Amino acid sequence: MDFQLNEEQSMLQDSVRRFMEDNCAFDKRASVVDKGSFDSSHWQQMADLGLLGLTVPEEFGGMNCSAVESALVMEEIGRVLCVEPYWAVAVLAAQTLIATRDAKAAPLLQALCLGEVLPVLAHEEAEARGNTARVQTRATAIAGDRWHLNGEKVAVVAGNVAELLIVSARTSGNQDDEQGISLFLVDPKAPGVERRDVRLIDNRWASHIYLHDVEVSQKNLLGVAGLGLAALRHGIEQATVALCAEAVGVMERSLWITRDYLKIRKQFGQLLGDFQSLQHRMSEMLIELELSRGMLHYALSSLDKGSAERARALSAAKAHIGKSGHFVCGQSIQLHGGIGVTEEYVIGHYFKRMTLINSALGSSMHHFEQLAAQERSAVA
Amino acid sequence: MHFILDQEDEHFRQEVRAFLKGNLPADLAGRNRRGYHPLREDIRQWTKILNRQGWSGANWPKHWGGTGWSPVRQFIFDEECILAGAPPVDTAGFKMIGPVIMTFGSEAMKQEYGPRILNGDVYWGQGFSEPNAGSDLGSLSTRADRVGDEYVINGRKIWTSFVETAEMIFVLVKTDPEARQRGISMILVDREAPGVTIRPIHDIGESHSLNEVFFDDVRVPVTNLVGEEGKGWTYAKFLLENERAFSAEWPRNNANLARLRKFLNLKQADGQRLIDRPGFASRLAQLETDLLALRWLTLRALHEKAGGQSRLPVGSLLKIRGSELLQKIGELQVEALGCYASYVYPDPLGDATLEETWAPGPDYAPGIMADYFYRRATTIYGGANEVQRTIIARSFLEL
Repeated sequence: MDFQLNEEQSMLQDSVRRFMEDNCAFDKRASVVDKGSFDSSHWQQMADLGLLGLTVPEEFGGMNCSAVESALVMEEIGRVLCVEPYWAVAVLAAQTLIATRDAKAAPLLQALCLGEVLPVLAHEEAEARGNTARVQTRATAIAGDRWHLNGEKVAVVAGNVAELLIVSARTSGNQDDEQGISLFLVDPKAPGVERRDVRLIDNRWASHIYLHDVEVSQKNLLGVAGLGLAALRHGIEQATVALCAEAVGVMERSLWITRDYLKIRKQFGQLLGDFQSLQHRMSEMLIELELSRGMLHYALSSLDKGSAERARALSAAKAHIGKSGHFVCGQSIQLHGGIGVTEEYVIGHYFKRMTLINSALGSSMHHFEQLAAQERSAVA
Repeated sequence: MHFILDQEDEHFRQEVRAFLKGNLPADLAGRNRRGYHPLREDIRQWTKILNRQGWSGANWPKHWGGTGWSPVRQFIFDEECILAGAPPVDTAGFKMIGPVIMTFGSEAMKQEYGPRILNGDVYWGQGFSEPNAGSDLGSLSTRADRVGDEYVINGRKIWTSFVETAEMIFVLVKTDPEARQRGISMILVDREAPGVTIRPIHDIGESHSLNEVFFDDVRVPVTNLVGEEGKGWTYAKFLLENERAFSAEWPRNNANLARLRKFLNLKQADGQRLIDRPGFASRLAQLETDLLALRWLTLRALHEKAGGQSRLPVGSLLKIRGSELLQKIGELQVEALGCYASYVYPDPLGDATLEETWAPGPDYAPGIMADYFYRRATTIYGGANEVQRTIIARSFLEL
């Protein structure tokens, strides 16, 4: 184990930090949000920096880096509150595609690395609440090797700009069965796809997608019919770690912005930072930040472990970070006072982003429930 | 940055386990799995067993006669020892005054105490706190006046753990009453020296580990001064900083949570397990998560390279959360005990016949409440958590 960045990792961190601060910082993002939280020139630069294909194997045109490098990028995204869909495309969609091991994924991944195509995963459903196997969207077989997709996918991040949807649907089984889930590539412009673009509370954009008898065939199928869950799980695990990393960046920046404010703001004739109750609150925030960083390390360490240990680590990390992040970002607002709840000022936006990080891919409560269930079923 | 476990460290863990299996006497392990304070005799016996293996100085470098283990291995060793129910070694000797003597003491002092500490032949009391100087050590008032070749010590120390069975006490004293921290020195005192009086303090767990120690014209040779006059504060900080990666007491937390998990999985008289109740399962999951977070912050601290320590006051962070977690685990243990939390099960102090007079209850009940009450001190000792928060705010956040 080594907790220090090596030279390449430090260089990556530096270059991503520079890019994010120059291009995606809070004070520069208003026009990007208006355009659907996507900027094609930024995207091209991220492709040129090798970021889009960071964790994609070399054979598909990527940099073949590990989840540690991906986490470094996500931390920087968190620090500046970048609203562009790096996570949705370069982590969640890319990792799911890789895990399908389908030949059709190869050219897609190559195009993704170059910034030429934007695939996103349309998997989440309203009742799933973090349960990956909860898929009610149906793929009903019609003549030959064709299916009709019917269902509703929620909060598909970057659905507004996606050029391709990876849709999970049941070719067999009941709503929570692990077997029977299949992945299909769907053109968002295909007949029967109804898209409602929605701005999210953290100023990213997403789509609510209705599928009405959307016709797909064997050509659209990724991997083996009915065995799509493994690829989904892989993509979601990688994306969970990435969210944890983003949360660490969000918390860290939120904490230091608050610290700086306490050193300039005066009330009752003294600096806020001189009040011991506020000093102690800041210390608690730092503790939660550093424990969260510990949980990120734990999550990263689990990725090459067996599935049970991975599940435990990712649930523990997501649960802890959701809770800590809420505390750190919530108290950042509190310590600012009234200015903290204004739309114009940055600090409230850290809280908003943290709120969505918590709810994505299973909230803190969901993951605590998972851990409790594991405790009950384990034989001590 | 990478998180691949060192295979040799894993082999080391197996080696420690095998050693514990073959060498830890069952009666010792049985006593220490309960929450009562370890017996002096058990500690001595265990230290000698360890010393025969060359393992008693787990945290000491080789040239002091220690193991020379890396911090990670010391941690693994602690983890396995506590899980197996081994008594601790004398913390005050091995982790506090020992390293100070071996780093700052005279050659004669090193020769005199080093080997005896390693063999469990000298046991130490820590004389830092005073009735009017708790977390605020700088305001201590016990004084040592130089008279010829002796210091004459007058004053009073408090919370001195296990001093009634100790041979020696290391005390912080004022050698220059005018100066604050610069006037503090560290001096070794024979517990049986004339003028040393010990008054036991019973803690709310109805067990005895704490004491008050009075010094009335106690004369000690000047050669008992550790290092230099006026440097006591520096040495005290050294011994606290030295152990920063260990300040979460992770192995203790881990063993306590493992014990709690075992209780929750036992079938009760009604055939149900407590773990099947949503409240217990949920609280256990939260404690487990806290424990894991603390583990990974500890691992980061353990892997800090010598000289490359980050500015993060990780010892303070770990101390705060580690001490809180010990209490939280205790709270769920009390919940699990139900009605048996209300019975007093007196500390048998090694006398097994006393155990026969214990009130009814499950086998795991005795000792839990004693430990639970004693652990209220965890957030106070070693610098109260509020003091730690101020340290974090001032030193790192620069507030």
